[in-house]
Amino acid sequence: MDVAAPADHSEPLEKGLKAGALGFMSSVVIGVASTAPAYSLAATLGAVTAVAGIGFQAPIIMVLAFVPMLFVALGFKYLNQADPDCGTTFTWCARAFGPITGWLGGWGLIFADVLVMASLSQIAGSYTFLLFGWTSLANSTLWVGVAGVIWIVLMGLICYVGIEASARTQWGLLGAELVILVLFSLVALVKVWSGHAPGGVSPSWNWLNPFDIGSFGAMSSGLLLAIFIYWGWDTSVSVNEETEDATETPGRAAVASTFLLLAIYVIVSIAAQAFHGIGYLNDNSDDVLGALGKDVLGSPWDKLLIIAVLTSASASTQTTILPTTRATLSMASHGALPKMFARIQPRHLTPSVSTIWMCAVSIVVFVVLNTVSSNILADSVTATGFGIAFYYGLTGLACPWFFRHELLKSARNFFLVGLLPLLGGIILFAILGDSGYEAWSPASSETGSAWLGISPPLAMALLGLLIGIVVLIAQRIVAPEPFFRWKTEVADPGVLEAANG
Amino acid sequence: MARTIVVGYDGSVGASHALDRAVELAKLEGARIVVVFAYEIPAAYGGETGDYRRAVRELAEEATAAAVPRLQEADVEYDIELVPERPVQGLVDVAERTGASMIVVGTNGEHPIRGVVLGSVPHKLLHVSRVPVLVVPDPTE
Repeated sequence: MDVAAPADHSEPLEKGLKAGALGFMSSVVIGVASTAPAYSLAATLGAVTAVAGIGFQAPIIMVLAFVPMLFVALGFKYLNQADPDCGTTFTWCARAFGPITGWLGGWGLIFADVLVMASLSQIAGSYTFLLFGWTSLANSTLWVGVAGVIWIVLMGLICYVGIEASARTQWGLLGAELVILVLFSLVALVKVWSGHAPGGVSPSWNWLNPFDIGSFGAMSSGLLLAIFIYWGWDTSVSVNEETEDATETPGRAAVASTFLLLAIYVIVSIAAQAFHGIGYLNDNSDDVLGALGKDVLGSPWDKLLIIAVLTSASASTQTTILPTTRATLSMASHGALPKMFARIQPRHLTPSVSTIWMCAVSIVVFVVLNTVSSNILADSVTATGFGIAFYYGLTGLACPWFFRHELLKSARNFFLVGLLPLLGGIILFAILGDSGYEAWSPASSETGSAWLGISPPLAMALLGLLIGIVVLIAQRIVAPEPFFRWKTEVADPGVLEAANG
Repeated sequence: MARTIVVGYDGSVGASHALDRAVELAKLEGARIVVVFAYEIPAAYGGETGDYRRAVRELAEEATAAAVPRLQEADVEYDIELVPERPVQGLVDVAERTGASMIVVGTNGEHPIRGVVLGSVPHKLLHVSRVPVLVVPDPTE
């Protein structure tokens, strides 16, 4: 009789995707699809131009926001090489700075992901109604709420049963999304230049001048919103390690998806604000692309833009649910959250308890925000920005610290592994600190309303932090071993050599 | 060399009926059984999946361990293989590699519509496999 030890025909377990699974274009597609350009623009553009002191400088804000995200993405890349753990920030920061910091980093990720579900559902809800031309429903808080909840349940189900669109389908959807965005921009610009856009403003090079931004405070508030549009881009950096040609493809794909994204964001923001001026964007910040689409493309072509936003939002919802449930799975398997969050559904092999909780909590947050917040979109995007700045910033700082014994071994290590991620982390914490300081005043928020005397986004962030600390203390009391006894580590010298060699 | 029967096994009720039937056949033919747990985690959007994979792997080990008493009791020769591939592909690959004479799978008591939406392993297997496939229904249904 044979021994019962399972034969192992798997690739090394520590690997992410199957090696050779992705070609150059697929890597670019995944990088851009995870970032969801149409949805990101629909959610943030109106809010960015509405920040006092930014106005027409929105395009340059879009460019500037990319800088810290790029730097931190380097941190993601190298930390992922050392430890391709699905806890990402959580595991890396726990190893570099100790369990408490790692835990809070993981919580920042969960916080940002749960909150972004609110803006995703709001956009998905109202754009679904716009698709059918039901404008009054799209403006009704109640019906957008109902549609948003259905959206979360639907997307949660898809993640729960582990269905995913094939690479080819994503290819098609993303290709369509980009073509529609470019078409929209071109038509808008042509109409502006030919005088067919009432209230149109001819684009000016000055819109790309960072020194025309009103104040440092305005810049950091704008950046906090705009880092949101690059969120998810780092996925392509880590996925890129698994491409067909591991030495050439990753770099080229990351560069290509980067320039594609930057170009799209700059062109669309220029076209959108040129068409009717920024006042129009501010008045329609809930559905910027929906509102503009009607005037720019005309019926029925404007529906294309709405479909692009919806497919983009569905990709974005999945790239929100998946990493969150994997982070909670990782946290639970290390003992940082109750064990049940690590449970895997035997049939579909997905993290079942994590997925259900993620969706349930998102629904509660969305319904509460939708009921109490007078501008759920701007408020939740800003609050999500606090979460992103925090956990990305922490990741940026963790990279040089974790690799601190390697930094002086080569100029490449010093800059790419040390200096740039560090700078990225510092910039994000500066944005976090400055916009947090600005946000003490309720007047800074979109609506000027106040919760407990401070602006709603900051109130959400502080409430999130408070809940996190309570959960952290509870878990520490219930399960002090093994996670909360973790000792900090430094990188194994072989990691970077293997990666560079 | 002894004949080989491949069984798709994920620890579910349907799979254990398939295992029972495969064991009966193996005893008749003096065949060896290869228990296959094929799995693929959703990864299109990428990201880091290190410990997710580890968790699925543990689940696969636990599930297949449940098949061992039944195999030992029947006193048939057996192997267990955990294959990180889509179920259908994994079953076909193992069957071809081991020169199996048959693939046995359960039906999981799947509702036909559910099968259409989510994709039914037995159904796809019938189209892809070059080895005869035996689909064992759940007798309690």
